[in-house]
Amino acid sequence: MIRLYRVSKEYAGVGALIDVSVHVTKGEFCYISGPSGAGKSTLLKLLYGAIKPTRGKLLINNIDMGPAKDRDIAHLRRHMGVVFQDFKLIPRRTVAENVGLALEVLGTPREVIGRRVAAVLSIVGLRGRGDELPLSLSGGEQQRVAVARAIVNDPAVILADEPTGNLDGAMAIEVMEVLQAVNLRGTTVMVATHDAGLMQRFPYRTLRFRAGRLEAS
Amino acid sequence: MSHSAHVLRRAARSIWENLYLHSVSVGVIASALLLVGVFLSVQFNLNRMVTDWTRDVHVSAYFLPDVPEQRRFAIRERLAKDPRVAKVVYVSEEEAQDWLIARVEGVSTALAELGPGVLPASVEITLVDGAVAAPNSFVDLLPADEFSDVDMGQDWVARFNEFLRTLQLLGALLGVIITATALFVVSNTVNLVIYSRRDEVEIEKLVGASTSFIIAPFLIEGAIQGVAGGVLAVGGLWSVHAVLVHRLQNSIQIGVANEMVFLPPTWIGLLVAAGLVLGLGASTLSVTRFLSRAA
Ligand SMILES: Nc1ncnc2c1ncn2[C@@H]1O[C@H](COP(=O)(O)OP(=O)(O)O)[C@@H](O)[C@H]1O
Ligand SMILES: [Mg+2]
Repeated sequence: MIRLYRVSKEYAGVGALIDVSVHVTKGEFCYISGPSGAGKSTLLKLLYGAIKPTRGKLLINNIDMGPAKDRDIAHLRRHMGVVFQDFKLIPRRTVAENVGLALEVLGTPREVIGRRVAAVLSIVGLRGRGDELPLSLSGGEQQRVAVARAIVNDPAVILADEPTGNLDGAMAIEVMEVLQAVNLRGTTVMVATHDAGLMQRFPYRTLRFRAGRLEAS
Repeated sequence: MSHSAHVLRRAARSIWENLYLHSVSVGVIASALLLVGVFLSVQFNLNRMVTDWTRDVHVSAYFLPDVPEQRRFAIRERLAKDPRVAKVVYVSEEEAQDWLIARVEGVSTALAELGPGVLPASVEITLVDGAVAAPNSFVDLLPADEFSDVDMGQDWVARFNEFLRTLQLLGALLGVIITATALFVVSNTVNLVIYSRRDEVEIEKLVGASTSFIIAPFLIEGAIQGVAGGVLAVGGLWSVHAVLVHRLQNSIQIGVANEMVFLPPTWIGLLVAAGLVLGLGASTLSVTRFLSRAA
């Protein structure tokens, strides 16, 4: 599913990720952990194609991300869900429209979008909240909208960069439970976090980074 | 296809959400095209008038008194056979005098005192339409030793034509400047629209939107703005035209007012098409610049 072989990423000659080799199989749930600046976000950016590796080989679904074109990356992202610490919802759009965007991109007909969005909103515990605007929701609810958007097109993998970073304990657990549920349905989930408590509560394989190097996996 | 339905909905929504910016763009495009349109109208009408005038242009060639009548008729025949000549009328001294007496009261006694031959005989040549362009080419048909004077009626028309050509050049220059300015202003308002939606663009990219999916609404917005601007400009132009004709009719120059016409449909179409190109061009410029920077 996801394979890194001696991947390095440098910013202006400074290594943010150094010589990382790792394999994440289909259906796995794994954490990317480490202190701030360890390279967690850099790894996720490589995985969703926002940046390219400086050295090494990165394969996702057997697609080589090094030489991949913008077009290939766009296609890959249609089978990927991405979740961020700051939710990245469009404040001017309703919850349903925010979630539906991931299907609009595929040219899905409106009626189908409506059905899919409703189904996914109930998975994340937001049944019937589709007409509300994001800013009228709590942080935990907003993040669950973002998760709904990430899973609405049945992705093979979900990448989450500190998805609970802006949330207090109870809300963080809500979001983690949703991610866990999604994983149980067969989706690969990778969560970057430095929240030790959370990793203890939801124990999974952990890729531990320090200063760009993979310390333990 | 549902793709285009999504795109149209997004474009409509963006126009609604940025109504002020879009109005500015439409206003700028309309103003620019109105200016160009007024210029085109003036030029079109002047051109038309000149064409009308040249249609009535005659060449009058006055015979020297000692050219025998036979020779005059021969020259008339030769002129009549020339392809550039539509009509030739020979006017004898007597006919010229009669013509003058009939029109100017009291001139008959003065003419009688001066005796015959005061007014020379002449040939009045009406040219076919295309021949006007090269008046001097008639010199070969009108030898200097037989004519006292050749009045090329269209000398001033030629000069006016030259003036029109200068005007055209000026107009083209002005058009380029106005269009470039409009393009600049509109492309900057499009920039503001894109900037206000950059979060959306970022998210669209993250969920795997193709470049065409991202830029299509902006291009459609640009096209709609351009056409709206063009239509507004045509409306404005029509108002200007109506007011001008009305004013002129109420003043002395009724003749000029009746001769003024509105631009023909093809030109109107071109004006609206220019709006479309302008709006589309501006948004293409902005959106490609934005995407290349964001990449
Ligand atoms: N765009 C960038 N330009 C330069 N340096 C960067 C950039 N992004 C990240 N870095 C550097 O790379 C290292 C890893 O960053 P990051 O992956 O964001 O860490 P984490 O997400 O684990 O906090 C840090 O030293 C950071 O300063
Ligand atoms: Mg980070």
